[in-house]
Amino acid sequence: MSKPFHPAHGDPVAPALRGFARAHADLVELHEDPAHLVARHRAPGRRVGLVSGGGSGHEPLHAGFLGRGMLDAVAPGKVFASPHNRQVLEASRRAAGPDGVIHVVKNYTGDRINFGIAAERLRHEGIEVRRVLVDDDLATESDETATGRRGTGATVVVEKLLGAAADTGLGLDELATLGEAFTAASRSLAVASRAHTSMHTGDPSFTLGAAELEYGVGIHGERAARTVERPSTEELVDRMLDELVAGLPDGPDDVLTVVNGMGGTTLLELYGLNELVGAGLERRGLAPAGGLVGTFVPALDMAGFSLTLTRTEPAWKAWWAAPAVTPAFPRGTENGGTP
Amino acid sequence: MGTFDQEAVLRRYAAATETAHAELTELDQHSGDGDFGDNLRGGLRDAVARFESGASGPFAALGEVFLDEVGGTSGPLLGLLFTELAQALERTGDARDNGAAARAWAEGAGAGLAAIQRVGEARVGDRTLVDALAPAVEALPQGFASAARAAGAGAAHTGDLRARMGRASYVGERAKGRPDPGAVGVALLFWAAAAVAEPDGDFPAPVTTPLG
Repeated sequence: MSKPFHPAHGDPVAPALRGFARAHADLVELHEDPAHLVARHRAPGRRVGLVSGGGSGHEPLHAGFLGRGMLDAVAPGKVFASPHNRQVLEASRRAAGPDGVIHVVKNYTGDRINFGIAAERLRHEGIEVRRVLVDDDLATESDETATGRRGTGATVVVEKLLGAAADTGLGLDELATLGEAFTAASRSLAVASRAHTSMHTGDPSFTLGAAELEYGVGIHGERAARTVERPSTEELVDRMLDELVAGLPDGPDDVLTVVNGMGGTTLLELYGLNELVGAGLERRGLAPAGGLVGTFVPALDMAGFSLTLTRTEPAWKAWWAAPAVTPAFPRGTENGGTP
Repeated sequence: MGTFDQEAVLRRYAAATETAHAELTELDQHSGDGDFGDNLRGGLRDAVARFESGASGPFAALGEVFLDEVGGTSGPLLGLLFTELAQALERTGDARDNGAAARAWAEGAGAGLAAIQRVGEARVGDRTLVDALAPAVEALPQGFASAARAAGAGAAHTGDLRARMGRASYVGERAKGRPDPGAVGVALLFWAAAAVAEPDGDFPAPVTTPLG
């Protein structure tokens, strides 16, 4: 048992939002009741506001990606819970550009409904809205359910590419189409060797033996559909890459990669994994075209990692390399990315 | 043709949800997380208070409270319906004649159904509140009693359906046998409208608890 360092009483999200706004006061402003955060700066040519949000516990997603080059406003819910439609509504009102708003929504029923209700209300006010639904999780691909794939690690890729595209002055429909293309070209897969710590009991939310691995795990502390005997790290990455490459639609050989920690995984591990991923893609005839290594879409402190691959059109590379002045995206200058 | 009084519908709906609270809660414990009775009753109490404060008309108050304050997913979805009803009634100049009111309701409830389906992505037969609302919209041109009968029958029929959407989809076959609480909540609205517009009409209540 190892309890996290949340305040002794009450909801951990509200004080964390205040602390976040205090830490990044030059970039974001916090509004409470209902809770939403807004970027202080945006490119002058941007005609469409970009709004995202979702449950908390996945920091730095989404508020960490507020700022010039990425998101204009976000609506953070309680831990692992969708934001209320009123949060999305207020965030969208503040973010709306002359052409309207795009909602970047991870594919979960609660998020779809609450963003959807906000979209209806915005349309009543004369604000145009389009939704980009992120549904990249290969582990939840099934013909038997109506819910579709979950939205996970590709969210940060979509938010980066869409932000850079929006800064070029593209309109609402063009951006919505592009957002769907970014998502469609992305697949992710996650594994975990230890569940996240329950905030209430201090115990892991589920238990795994030392020789076991949750394969295809989500970002909300639920078990994966499969528990597998733990292979070597090299064998594991090979198996994940095989499935991801087979799951990707056809497209260019250039591939963006996100090696994402789930909250309890060290950078020493993640960089080692990134080397296996890069070499593994090259062996498969693909061309790693840059990407991210770090903790971007975690599930509290789960020990594990996710891999995201995005087949990248030539025009997207400049958007990936474009500057993003945000609290958490690791690129602040013109020279930051790999073009 | 009798006369139609929006305020009386709000009050009758609020009274019916007070009376049926235990039954709605019990239905939701059967298929969901058990908070629907609390959410509907709490929302109606707040809407009556908001109306009485003079801030909004009866249906505008319902829409504002259910969209802004009520938790869960079905509460804000009902807020979309109430808002569309309020706007349709406003467009027709707060019709006090039953026929004109039923036409305004047909328009508003139709727009509300469309919004709820856009957002919730539920179809008829998915065991949701759409199963009560869609037949009511179709029946409204024949009057409020007809709409109340259609909504009640639609709600009752959800007891034979397996959920494809919403929280009840997680319990699958186990939810069958009892109607969906959201559908019953919608049927109560149409029951209240008929009880005001056609007090002598023939339309059974959508709950087993006597509504008085």
